[in-house]
Amino acid sequence: MSPLYGTGTPLLELSRVSLRFGGVKALTEVTLSVPAGDLFSIIGPNGAGKTSALNCISGRYAPTSGRVMFDGRDITDVAPYRRAAIGIGRTFQNLALFGHMTVLDNILVGRHHLLRNNFVAGPIYWFTGACREELAHRAKVEEIIDFLDLQHVRKAIAGTLSYGLRKRVELARAIALEPKLLLLDEPMAGMNLEEKEDMARYIVELNEERGMTVVMIEHDMAVVMDMSKRVLVLDFGRTIAEGSPAEVLDDAQVARAYLGAAEGFGRNAEMGVATEIAAP
Amino acid sequence: MSTAATPLRDLAPAPVADTLPKLLARNAAAHPHDVALREKDLGIWRAYTWADYHAQVKRRALGLSAIGIERGDVVGLLGDNRPSWVISELAAHACGALSLGIYRDALDEEVAYLINHADVRIVLAEDEEQVDKLLRLGDRIPGVERIIYSDPRGVRKYTDPRLIVASALDRVGDEIALQRPERYDELVRATSGDDAAILCTTSGTSSNPKLAVLSAGRLIRHCESYLRVDPKGPQDEYVSVLPLPWIMEQVYALGQALIARMRVNFVEESGTTMADMREIGPTFILLAPRVWEQIAADVRARVMDASPLKRFVFRLGVRLGEAALKSGAKGARALADLVLMRALRDRLGFSRLRSAATGGAALGPDTFRFFQALGVPLRQLYGQTELAGAYTIHRPGEVDFDTVGTPFDGVEVRIDDADANGVGEIVTRHPNMFLGYYKNEAATRTSVLADGWMKTGDAGYFGASGELVVIDRVHDLATTSLGQRFSPQYIENKLKFSPYVAEAVILGDERPYLAALVCIRFSIVSKWAERHRIPFTTYADLAAKPQVHDLLRQEIETVNASLPEPQRVCKFLLLYKELDADDGELTRTRKVRRAVINEKYADLIEAIYAGQPEIGVDTMITFQDGTRQRVRTRLKTVDLVQAARAALRSPLGAPG
Repeated sequence: MSPLYGTGTPLLELSRVSLRFGGVKALTEVTLSVPAGDLFSIIGPNGAGKTSALNCISGRYAPTSGRVMFDGRDITDVAPYRRAAIGIGRTFQNLALFGHMTVLDNILVGRHHLLRNNFVAGPIYWFTGACREELAHRAKVEEIIDFLDLQHVRKAIAGTLSYGLRKRVELARAIALEPKLLLLDEPMAGMNLEEKEDMARYIVELNEERGMTVVMIEHDMAVVMDMSKRVLVLDFGRTIAEGSPAEVLDDAQVARAYLGAAEGFGRNAEMGVATEIAAP
Repeated sequence: MSTAATPLRDLAPAPVADTLPKLLARNAAAHPHDVALREKDLGIWRAYTWADYHAQVKRRALGLSAIGIERGDVVGLLGDNRPSWVISELAAHACGALSLGIYRDALDEEVAYLINHADVRIVLAEDEEQVDKLLRLGDRIPGVERIIYSDPRGVRKYTDPRLIVASALDRVGDEIALQRPERYDELVRATSGDDAAILCTTSGTSSNPKLAVLSAGRLIRHCESYLRVDPKGPQDEYVSVLPLPWIMEQVYALGQALIARMRVNFVEESGTTMADMREIGPTFILLAPRVWEQIAADVRARVMDASPLKRFVFRLGVRLGEAALKSGAKGARALADLVLMRALRDRLGFSRLRSAATGGAALGPDTFRFFQALGVPLRQLYGQTELAGAYTIHRPGEVDFDTVGTPFDGVEVRIDDADANGVGEIVTRHPNMFLGYYKNEAATRTSVLADGWMKTGDAGYFGASGELVVIDRVHDLATTSLGQRFSPQYIENKLKFSPYVAEAVILGDERPYLAALVCIRFSIVSKWAERHRIPFTTYADLAAKPQVHDLLRQEIETVNASLPEPQRVCKFLLLYKELDADDGELTRTRKVRRAVINEKYADLIEAIYAGQPEIGVDTMITFQDGTRQRVRTRLKTVDLVQAARAALRSPLGAPG
């Protein structure tokens, strides 16, 4: 919802976050601020530190220095599973589904932290509210299945699905968490045009209709520039630009970072992007 | 039984409930707690009783009347098969308005044409996809005052003043019902069975579709004649998957369902149709020939993938089933069921079928036999939109694959301009046919003869047993330059029984011999190619593989063996794309549009008859998502008779 955008305190803030692996500086003093209701993209060449930044937010990596604030609270030292509980959901660049479980069960896993019953109360199903609870969660999951058009694979084993569908199931699981902040690591990588368009529509709807704040890493420039409200550009672990898509496209440093790639820093994967970004 | 049907005088008098909303009110009063509709939503089948159904129609009708829908207005309906559609249609009828169903995959121009031609004032669109389509038309549809949508997802962001969400309209209806409780009953009482109620698009194998005007009273009476030869009742389950704008879905999901109180079920998504169908276990089903062919092909494809033991059991089961069909013995049937058929029917969701039909076009006899052997009581229907849908059907136990059965009571069929073999144009009349084409007096005069006989445009004859045989469209019947008459469709259906053939177009009108343009069935040929370790990339690439040519050559030679020599296919080529309704090559009901194909592939056709062994193609294909792809390929013409011709000096003569 647009009224949320730009109002009040930022939902997520990174202040001067650095991350080092021995001598490798993955992130250097990255600062960013995402207001509630934003659709925020992080772009940059391969190895620029995008996924590292996302991992610092989700808690998979602990920053070497700097602070991560979420919803007015310092979460720098909070464990990843607790971050899920306070409202950070994510998907992975390489799929991380339970391949042998059905789509339905995979999405239900996303509800796990909301379950009140445990393995003692659960078996006495009808007396502890476990039955009612299961119905409520199933209803929520069905709503998500409807939202992401997964009805036809509801009972299919996740591992047997196409790549595009598995990405969608992963998104469904992340939404099932009912997060305030959704982190998407390359949600459209390896998809065909139709799948990309669908995925873009889902993300925009999540953001606009359900008011979910989204931080996304994506390579497809057309997608990023079309969807994002704001964009952060990283190169060698440093912020080189931040602003609206139009501002970022105009930025000379950004063009250089990407063009540099074309001139032979071995980032061939980004060449397609380089031409697109230089064109305007 | 005489074939040319009994006179019309002994028909029952018009029923009191002569409009669909009256029937609904009658059912809601007499059976309020019986299930009328079911919809699968969020994974659960949710039932509407007759009372619910009636209440929903009431509020929507009052809502529609509140925004100015009156007698004689036209209300457009656009979307998937859902309860909301039938509710809206009945609500429009309750207001005395006409309903016009628009196919959900219709292109923008078609939608604009229909809306403008029919003076549609209000469109009920299902969701964002349909609303987008209408908004995209902008000022090309100036007559549309309101667009009512049921699913608000994604539509909320639009600010077009014409948009209203259906739930808001229904609330307006509720308020009116509170203020004037008798209002709805008055509206329904004012409806008359003699008034025009339904506009139905005709399939239009040429140019813009015409709109047949049907009155509710006639439709209901015609549905009753149908029910006399194929009775249905409250115990019957029907799954609504045919497009609702089509006359036959109007007959089943509205007419027959309201008369016989058959339960109508709506599937969750098109992708879940087969699974949902299996959960419901319908007792009646009508599918287009293409869908029956597709199901048969899928079964075969799955068997190809199965283990040798399963393949053996399948072959055995099919042989037993065919034997049982031939002998008619109960024991043989039971054996076939035990070995294969019961399990296969269950898998397909056909376990509880009491009646099944195919219609819309001819179904190849081999496919017919396959389903009969499977134990599906499949029957052929024949009819036209103008004549309120089907009016001939096989009588139970008298299924002859080549015929379309005998007419319903009160339907008269004759053959005009019959040639020496009795083949001529099928001309029909019955008291419940359409009132005329909407705003197209000229077309009505051309098709309907002075004394109420309707020219169907189909060629056919009465078989020895008195059953009607339909051959093809009159103007599609073709003659080779050597004077041999043939029906392209008949041969195409034979070809399409091969699981590898998705579509075929037979050429040869005013040519020395017959040739075929063939589209391979990608799902199956690709599987076959994988199994034979043939690498390929796209459809076009696969269709150009020499091994695939050999495969199809064998298939066509098999078909040729069953045809009289002058009607055999002498040459064929495999097209680089599938025929598609979006390219105008097929109608929405998936019939081949010959004129379009003759024009579009004119150079291919010329090249075939000029005897070129290879034809270069360089063209653009536009996909549904708007992307375009350049296709450059060389098509090879396969000559099936060259060798034979050299040896036998066939009368066909060397071309070119």
